[in-house]
Amino acid sequence: MPTPDPNQRLRSLLDSPNLWRGSEHYLAATTKTSSHFPGLPTGFAALDASLPWRGWPANALVEIITPLWGTGELQLVLPLLRRISMAGRSALWLSPPCIPYAPALASAGVDIARMIIVTPPAAEVLWSIEKALQDKACAVVLAWPGHLSGKHIRRLQLAALTGQTLGILFHHRNIRHSASVLRLRAQAEEDAMALTVLKARGSYRHDRIRLPWNCHE
Amino acid sequence: MNSKPFQSSLALHPLRAVRTDKPHGPARGLTPSTKARRPTPLWYALWLPQLSQQPAIDGSQQVRLEQIAASLGGLSATVSIEAPDSFLLEVGSTLRYFGGIEKIRTRLHALLEPLLHSWALPRHFHEAASPTPAASLLLARAACNLLVYRKENLRAALGRLPLHTLTLPERKKRQFHNSGLYILRDIWRLPSHAVAQRFGHAFIKQLEQSLGHVANPVQAYHSAPTFCSDLDCTYAIENKQALLPGVETLLERLCLFLHKRELAAMHLHMALVHEQQGRTEVEIMLRQPNRSYSHLQLLLETRLNAVVLPAPVIAMQLQVTQFAPFSSHNATLSGVPAPQEWGAGLNDLLPLLEQLQARLGNRAVRSIHCQDEHCPEQAGLDSPFGERMPTVIVPPSGSNEDAERPCWLLAKPIPLRQEAGRLFYYSSLRLISGPERIETHWWSPQEIQRDYYVARNRQGMRLWIFHERQASSQQETRGWFLHGIFA
Repeated sequence: MPTPDPNQRLRSLLDSPNLWRGSEHYLAATTKTSSHFPGLPTGFAALDASLPWRGWPANALVEIITPLWGTGELQLVLPLLRRISMAGRSALWLSPPCIPYAPALASAGVDIARMIIVTPPAAEVLWSIEKALQDKACAVVLAWPGHLSGKHIRRLQLAALTGQTLGILFHHRNIRHSASVLRLRAQAEEDAMALTVLKARGSYRHDRIRLPWNCHE
Repeated sequence: MNSKPFQSSLALHPLRAVRTDKPHGPARGLTPSTKARRPTPLWYALWLPQLSQQPAIDGSQQVRLEQIAASLGGLSATVSIEAPDSFLLEVGSTLRYFGGIEKIRTRLHALLEPLLHSWALPRHFHEAASPTPAASLLLARAACNLLVYRKENLRAALGRLPLHTLTLPERKKRQFHNSGLYILRDIWRLPSHAVAQRFGHAFIKQLEQSLGHVANPVQAYHSAPTFCSDLDCTYAIENKQALLPGVETLLERLCLFLHKRELAAMHLHMALVHEQQGRTEVEIMLRQPNRSYSHLQLLLETRLNAVVLPAPVIAMQLQVTQFAPFSSHNATLSGVPAPQEWGAGLNDLLPLLEQLQARLGNRAVRSIHCQDEHCPEQAGLDSPFGERMPTVIVPPSGSNEDAERPCWLLAKPIPLRQEAGRLFYYSSLRLISGPERIETHWWSPQEIQRDYYVARNRQGMRLWIFHERQASSQQETRGWFLHGIFA
């Protein structure tokens, strides 16, 4: 039996999900993505580079916090929606503030047949989000839950893990100690979208990223 | 030929047995042969021209046809609807049971006359019986009420039929008439290959079928399946959780029924019977026909959870009237399941969507559509998921680079506040691009004449606003409105 390449052994050790290194970002930026951290490309190179998964964390809950609706938060997810709908997977929009406008999505390259809008009554919103996240057939769940507490987020995060679904919650309030895997604050500026990484599990960085409008791939 | 329509008030004579001379053997009367081991087929044809003469009101004709066919099912195992106004029954096999053709005929009249009377239609109809379905139909539709027992006699009986009673295109009928051919016997006098050459093989086949030389399969009518099952509770149930075992028993019966019939359920109707306060009805529409026990159970459970019981339940009933043929899913040839990661489509999503619909209502799950329209309100539509939309035109990606559209379109444009010549939405607005003029629907009250601009406020929101080109009736100035948010 040939002796394993020592570099190979070292690499397999480094790839182990149990090992966490503070310098991981800088290492991963130069090597290819580790298979232990599945990620879905966000479509924004600058954002991908600053996230530990090189994209949105698959099977997890993401919070996008904006001061108001309509400050560019949908631009963040349009490349993702385009990618998953072209791959033949579906996205659920749960209680959006408005019914999404089909011509806009279609001209952004999103297959609108794969977008399902669910408008539950206020009391049933969290139940619907949980059911959608638990379902394996649904690739992405975009949700506008309204009032949220840390307890709700923990439960939804578990649902996302069970269903291997990427859940993106849009809300206005930063909940400290939330159980979500990634928490972003999005703020529209004159010529760019300013993103602050409030929390990314497995990383200590609190990057500020500026994404100029229309810079996605 | 006596083609006088048979009046039901007359005695049995109009259904004359055709008596032929030798060499076809002794004539047969109205008593069926008891010597024959295997019953020879005998097809009884009914022609009810009044069914198709009445102007049909939204499918009532089909309903009537099926109602008649269902009632005829008591007389024969094989009943077929011959659209638009005829029926065929195979009575050869039931002759002995009912005690002869006359008894069958009496029963037929007793069945049909009250039905026709209830629809305010004339009660008389034409009938004929012969060994082949095609010949019976021909005879009945030619209004000669004949009974022919033996195949050999068919030719003689059919020979007198005028050619215009055959189901043929008008052009062909004229062709016969011009050739001096009036009755079927005229055709049989001609050499058959010449007839085929001149009038086509389809015509020859029709004749051969009526003589029984060529097989003529008949599509038997089967009444629509229904499932209805009741369950009495051993005690009055107040707790919804305690209902579940009963629901499961009913569902097991349903799934057994579906498996036996190779069907899938489309629409479930569940009724919970209360002691005095009537019933609680629960309806479940399925997007896709289904017969999976676990899926139906999940749907019913979700639906029942949302129901408020006004009183204890003493019995329940499950009813299914809409079915679809069961079709199983396609498997891959190699037996290896297709890759799941990016392969799952909308079909996999259906169980979830149905569950959501069961709890939130059908209108809560929606899909969105594009329409080829200039008017922004009508270019994007949404409808309850599963409803077919008339036109779905998806513009190719990037075709509208110059005409950008917002992701959120407000259901109703919001008037913008104006102060000192500036527009406000949260904060003062600055126009970044525009105008894009949209003028359409001048022919209707929904006429729009707008100049659209893209604007940005201090919060960084990109807004789609418009300026009316003509003042509306309520205001003297032309208004500015917010119509969409680019988000």
